[in-house]
Amino acid sequence: MAATRTASRACEIFTTLEYGPAPESHACALAWLDTQDRHLGHYVNGQWLKPEHRSSVPCQDPITGENLASCLQAQSEDVAAAVEAARASLENWSTQPGAFRAQHLTRLAKAIQKHQRLLWTLESLVTGRAVREVRDRDVPLAQQLLQYHAVQAHTQEEALAGWEPMGVVGLILPPTFPFLDMMWRICPALAVGCTVVVLVPPATPTPLLLAQLAGELAPFPGILNVISGPDSLGPVLAAQPGVQKVAFCGATEGGLRLLIQEAVWDETMRRLQERMGRLRCGRGLDGAVDMGARGAAARDLAQRYVREAQSQGAQVFQAGSVPSDSPFFPPTLVSDLPPASPCAQAEVPWPLVVASPFRTVKEALAVANGTPRGGSASVWSERLGQALELAYGLQVGTVWINAHGLRDPAVPTGGCKESGSSWHGGQDGLYEYLRPSGTPAWIPYLSKTLNYDAFGLALPSTLPAGPETGPAPPYGLFVGGRFQAPGARSSRPIRDSQGSLHGYVAEGGAKDIRGAVEAAHQAAPGWMSQSPAARAALLWALAAALQRREPNLVSRLERHGVELKVAKVEVELSVKRLRAWGARVQAQGCALQVAELRGPVLQLREPLGVLAIVCPDEWPLLAFVSLLAPALVHGNTVVLVPSGACPIPALEVCQEMATLLPAGLVNVVTGDQDHLTRCLALHQDIQALWYFGSAQGSQFVEWASAGNLKLVWVNRGCPRAWDQEAEGAGPELGRRAARTKALWLPMGD
Amino acid sequence: MSAHQQGTELDLSWISKIQVNKPAVLRRAEQIQARRPVKKEWQAAWLLKAVTCIDLTTLSGDDTASNIQRLCYKAKYPIREDLLKALNMHDKGITTAAVCVYPARVCDAVKALKAAGCDIPVASVATGFPAGQTHLKTRLEEIRLAVEDGATEIDVVINRTLVLTGQWKGSDFIKTSTGKETVNATFPVAIVMLRAIRDFFWKTGNKVGFKPAGGIRSAKDSLVWLSLIKEELGDEWMKPELFRIGASTLLADIERQIYHHVTGRYAAYHDLPMS
Repeated sequence: MAATRTASRACEIFTTLEYGPAPESHACALAWLDTQDRHLGHYVNGQWLKPEHRSSVPCQDPITGENLASCLQAQSEDVAAAVEAARASLENWSTQPGAFRAQHLTRLAKAIQKHQRLLWTLESLVTGRAVREVRDRDVPLAQQLLQYHAVQAHTQEEALAGWEPMGVVGLILPPTFPFLDMMWRICPALAVGCTVVVLVPPATPTPLLLAQLAGELAPFPGILNVISGPDSLGPVLAAQPGVQKVAFCGATEGGLRLLIQEAVWDETMRRLQERMGRLRCGRGLDGAVDMGARGAAARDLAQRYVREAQSQGAQVFQAGSVPSDSPFFPPTLVSDLPPASPCAQAEVPWPLVVASPFRTVKEALAVANGTPRGGSASVWSERLGQALELAYGLQVGTVWINAHGLRDPAVPTGGCKESGSSWHGGQDGLYEYLRPSGTPAWIPYLSKTLNYDAFGLALPSTLPAGPETGPAPPYGLFVGGRFQAPGARSSRPIRDSQGSLHGYVAEGGAKDIRGAVEAAHQAAPGWMSQSPAARAALLWALAAALQRREPNLVSRLERHGVELKVAKVEVELSVKRLRAWGARVQAQGCALQVAELRGPVLQLREPLGVLAIVCPDEWPLLAFVSLLAPALVHGNTVVLVPSGACPIPALEVCQEMATLLPAGLVNVVTGDQDHLTRCLALHQDIQALWYFGSAQGSQFVEWASAGNLKLVWVNRGCPRAWDQEAEGAGPELGRRAARTKALWLPMGD
Repeated sequence: MSAHQQGTELDLSWISKIQVNKPAVLRRAEQIQARRPVKKEWQAAWLLKAVTCIDLTTLSGDDTASNIQRLCYKAKYPIREDLLKALNMHDKGITTAAVCVYPARVCDAVKALKAAGCDIPVASVATGFPAGQTHLKTRLEEIRLAVEDGATEIDVVINRTLVLTGQWKGSDFIKTSTGKETVNATFPVAIVMLRAIRDFFWKTGNKVGFKPAGGIRSAKDSLVWLSLIKEELGDEWMKPELFRIGASTLLADIERQIYHHVTGRYAAYHDLPMS
């Protein structure tokens, strides 16, 4: 019979009708930690690796502070060992038929299903997140991810013919991350045939558990290796020979910004506060709890933010039943924060929501797009037209209409601006780990002698260099639809293959780049709103114009030592490419049908914005056109730096563009390639930079572009066969010239 | 039942402005079933609360005085005495909220309850239950007769013809359906109704009650219903004055759960008195 204590409690509860705790036991998580004697190492090549003489870091329960286990801190040798294991299994894994890899991934999904309780308990215990979030959302999604990618692997030979897996992929994860972030990235990598080395911060046991589950599925133990170590090992991982790509995920705060139209402000705030009052905070492993805690550091951050917001004049509302002891922080609603205050610019920490009013859709877009963040957003409106206007206008990777936070493996998730430049999920996620067949493997080349501060800084002075022979080329920088004089007011000589002076071209500098980028931005909205058919028509007109100019272009190329036959082919191919890209872009965009959702998810291909291109010296005309065409046709506006040795054919094309294209659509700046590259790479308002120059230049571009996380494509100094279809006009160019936005439209009335 | 409320002027513009985000409602309905598990002594207490909100119902073609009497007795003693004693709730007057029968059986119900010494109300379904497709005159007469016989609550079937042509009426309680349809009380429907009750309360200050009926058979379900009310409307609505569950077999399942809580064992059907 029940004790009298519970009996009297029942009496009390009958009147108060409070919820009680619904604790989940974490015995299984502790039991698993015990199998490693509470001392976790790394998991490499299907075995636990516990090298000697390593320091270790305690793994603590974020809510009680209790020590759960200790985790080793890796050193460079451990990273090397892991990469070696991944490399050893790469050959075998990538040459398996896709169907085999598909089966392997399905088996891993089943293994997760069998051990799901252990997985969600461990994750909830260690990260402090509410168990129902991990159990009901993360774990099923992880299984779905594996299933989806198994299907992709199965059809890889037909659907992705012409693409091959990159090789060994490194993955670096931030201090607090859900294990799901890891799954989003390793699933596509493994599915297409890459092998993975994951560097996790110590004190995160869940990836080790996943690696163990994967490793026990013989016969491919080395495809997933997990090392726990400090993030200083990141460069070590990237520099290992054999590692073809490193994906990294930065830490993001979990707070939200809420923009509410003034007319519904009061009603919305009231309902929001009412609902907040019902939220329950508590230990993550309590099944009846809505939110857990993320540790003392997260709570302090939230605390600081609230205090600062209040000092800047904001109203703060906190509610919900929250245990008074740390590190719990109640769900908080901050309103009336002046838009110019520092808090309004900063990232909002979890679990805060900052609410601001707006009057019109235009204002809402301006406010929402006015931050460097561009991850995801949801739009709530009953008016379809209005909702879609916002959805199209928001500069983010994912938009939900009348819903929030929906995720599916088939829908690509990415971002723009500083939310990153890579995708996971869907087809885009697969391409992250693929390269066109036959591309040579990347050898890490890091010139330690490259002086980032000095690269391209100095402009060589140019002096008169002899008489110009033959017809003078068009002179000036083609910016804003016409030829302009360069800001520096000097020129550089272009010598032909005989050594005599072909002509002078303008010496462009930083100011000219600035002007060109501005002109491109001005032309962007008009160009973006053109239909694919309109863009195609312009490209066709340009193709016809080039065809008329053929004798002129051929003679310019001949002067630079190109054989007549080859020059003719070059011009012909250029014309052909312009027409081909125009035709290609007409078939774009598609709607996905997503499981568990009624209603479509639109995959929109959107232009990147302003695309800067530094053209190679090989095939000076053809490369110029081959790069220009896909960029333009996808809705971007372009700033180009033509070949340094032979820019004149490009300038001839500019004369045609002056009459045919809207001003500012294409801008061409001639000059010292390194100097102009520097200006472009350091420019924060260029959305992507394609560089086909030297290896050193490639390294500089990659380093400098981290400033605004612009998309980058470099050739690392290797010439490209522009005349070949695959390299000169292949699908890779089209993929890189646009980005995907996922637009979720749940249906139902 | 609470005092009869005054109500407000009918304002049809309220109804035309209503928007329901169906996918979001469906998501919330799914969530609510997993989000608030209630265990151990909390579960026992909640289940007893659920019992006090049940309208113990029998609406069969073969209802006679004898099964009505059994039902009324069960309404007065819904949970076995010793189980209630173990929870120290035997003297709290735990009975169901009401007994719900067809109009012709109201007399029998009133008699049986009087004999058992119980003062819980007798509710009668009326107005051409369940289809409501009879003449207004007979429907009104039905209500009058039922009240004469001693019924103090009436479950009225609304005239769907009037609804579909936008002619609405007010009431003290709203019920999900007669319970005799193919789809009865589901969570998405309930969420929309509860939000409407909340909006009405915010606008006018009047509290309208809620009664789901049909298909609520398991104790676990009744807990979810209670937590749904708690989440959407708050603690004040979790009482028989504002919340009723129209059910018949639910009581048996609740009793078995309480048996399990008290003894740690699963009861056989013959261990507990039938209703």
